[in-house]
Amino acid sequence: MLTIKDLRASVEGKEILKGLNLDIKPGEVHAIMGPNGAGKSTLGYVLSGRDGYEVSGGQVELNGENVLEMEVEERAQAGLFLAFQYPVEIPGVSNMEFMKESVNAVRKERGEESLSAAEFLKKAKEACKQVNLPLDFLKRGVNEGFSGGEKKRNEIMQMILLEPSICILDESDSGLDVDALQVVANGVNSQRDGKRSFIVVTHYQRLLDYIEPDFVHILADGKIVKSGDASLAKEVEKTGYAWLSKAEEAGA
Amino acid sequence: MSQWLNGVIERAQGVDDWLSPIRQQALAQLSQQSWPGRRTEAWRYTSLHPIADAQWAQSEPADAAVSTEQRQALSIEGLETIDIWFVDGQLQTDISQITLPSGLTMQSFAQADDQARAAAAQVFTQVKPPKHLFGLVNDVLANNGVIIDVAADAAVNTPVRIINLCSDGVESHNRVLVRLGERAQACVIEHGAGDGASLNTAYAEYQLGRDAKLEHYRFALHAKQAIHVGGCHFNMGESSRLNSTLVGYGSQLSRIDVDIQHTEQHAFAKFNNIYLLAEGEHFDLHSSIEHIVPNGTTEENARGIVGDNAKAVFNGRIHIHRDAQKTLAELNNRNLLLSRRGQINTKPELEIYADDVQCAHGATVAEIDDEALYYMLSRGIERSQALVMLNFGFIQELVDQMPNAALREWLQPKLQQRFAGMEVA
Ligand SMILES: Nc1ncnc2c1ncn2[C@@H]1O[C@H](COP(=O)(O)OP(=O)(O)OP(=O)(O)O)[C@@H](O)[C@H]1O
Ligand SMILES: [Mg+2]
Repeated sequence: MLTIKDLRASVEGKEILKGLNLDIKPGEVHAIMGPNGAGKSTLGYVLSGRDGYEVSGGQVELNGENVLEMEVEERAQAGLFLAFQYPVEIPGVSNMEFMKESVNAVRKERGEESLSAAEFLKKAKEACKQVNLPLDFLKRGVNEGFSGGEKKRNEIMQMILLEPSICILDESDSGLDVDALQVVANGVNSQRDGKRSFIVVTHYQRLLDYIEPDFVHILADGKIVKSGDASLAKEVEKTGYAWLSKAEEAGA
Repeated sequence: MSQWLNGVIERAQGVDDWLSPIRQQALAQLSQQSWPGRRTEAWRYTSLHPIADAQWAQSEPADAAVSTEQRQALSIEGLETIDIWFVDGQLQTDISQITLPSGLTMQSFAQADDQARAAAAQVFTQVKPPKHLFGLVNDVLANNGVIIDVAADAAVNTPVRIINLCSDGVESHNRVLVRLGERAQACVIEHGAGDGASLNTAYAEYQLGRDAKLEHYRFALHAKQAIHVGGCHFNMGESSRLNSTLVGYGSQLSRIDVDIQHTEQHAFAKFNNIYLLAEGEHFDLHSSIEHIVPNGTTEENARGIVGDNAKAVFNGRIHIHRDAQKTLAELNNRNLLLSRRGQINTKPELEIYADDVQCAHGATVAEIDDEALYYMLSRGIERSQALVMLNFGFIQELVDQMPNAALREWLQPKLQQRFAGMEVA
């Protein structure tokens, strides 16, 4: 479903992704861990097509289509969803209007009819409940004045409404209290249907207690340096990343 | 000096009608004027180069008729109006054939009877200050015009719409004179349009009687090559109320001067302006609010979006005279720049000589919020739609303040579409 081959990308002339490979099949959950500054968020931005992230090599295919040639909105319409590490606030645009517009844009691309205001409201209310946000969050400006945890839940709500085929969650667990962590995890788990795939970027094992990954990858210095099953995350939790520099020395 | 202006002065000698005595004074003033250059304050940011030595065909009475297509293109759905058509400055509507609501008298310059002439004399050049060069040009050349007189106590509910259509290659000048009697109420829409390389000056003067209420719109939708220089000028009678919305597109050269004069106490003027400039267009709005007497109120809001290589000029002057105590005056200008190559010259100008007044002004220029835009795109929202959602709100607010619902519904998608078609660079 999503294949990333030898992906290289730079920001402001500095190479951040240095030949990254990842192959994700339908229904799989891949966790990505790695030290600060390794390029995890960059991967999400590059996949989503953000301006300023220059791809200098490699390929990305989503369901057989060349993602790198698509515009940001086309990628989203093709089923790619990125839950941001730091969601932006957009005062003046209501959450409701924003989500209705995006859901209908994606539906249009899938050849489905637009939802009426009433139909959308019904879905939005359900999703809102599912992530445990009060309904008045639909009326507020997008992320406007939301707490860190509320923003993360709002991202998950959007994911639920947009029904993407590949979800990239960038530290959706950071800054969450224990209950919210469970809300986010349940939100994700409710969307696991055997076809939808996930890339879960996280620093902590605790999220993976709830969302069980099929694979765990360690991203360091712009590359996947190690892959394994769920046990790799537990290992990282215990040993940290000190072994990375040793491995580098050993390799050199 | 300008060859074009020389031509105007020459042609003015040939204009001979019942307004000629007043035109002679204007001509004398015009002959004293020198052609504005870069150092002329009023034209500092707007070059008159496209006019200086240019030539257009002069419009002739028989030249233009209104085609069905033109009628349709400028129709406003769901709005019943009394339409007066000018095509290239020539009046195309036989006003004498229109059944007018009671209390409303309307006559063309050409057919004005004594009563209309008397009304005109109270308005023509009486409201518009002589400082506007092109206003003087209009004074001496505009032999096509309409006089609208609303009797005391008459409430005319049907809006009068004055359509001013300009076609390629033609120069034209037309005039609107409006007098509202005491407690009279009316709605006047000035609706201009045209894309071709034309030159039009259109000036309108409004004399509001005591307790009169005017709802006013000026849609200066001349675009692309159409050069439009004009003005709306209001004299506020005691306790009169004005609610005016001016909407401008940019063009090769589009310039509007607005004057609101509080010459009697307790008048209230609300003036909203919207300008949307597509690539390469130029729009210049000079507004001048004069509070001469105490207890007047003015609220002015100017908001605009400026496209790539486009240039907006906003000059908002508020002049509070020594005696004008208890004046309330607010002026706010907000702009959105779509490109670093766009340009905005905004200048609020306050002159306050009274000490007991409340006066506020401000101007801001914003740019596209790239992060917010990216966020919306990343959710699948089309670029043009995302831009509208992010940036149209502050324009929408002014559209929403227009009192007429049918006009709101007509204008809103029109502006939104124009904005969605603009490039962000
Ligand atoms: N606009 C930018 N200009 C310069 N450097 C940048 C820019 N954006 C990202 N970088 C750099 O790219 C590197 C990777 O950043 P990225 O945000 O992808 O890391 P990360 O793995 O997500 O880290 P964290 O775990 O802290 O979220 C960092 O060294 C960062 O400083
Ligand atoms: Mg990150």
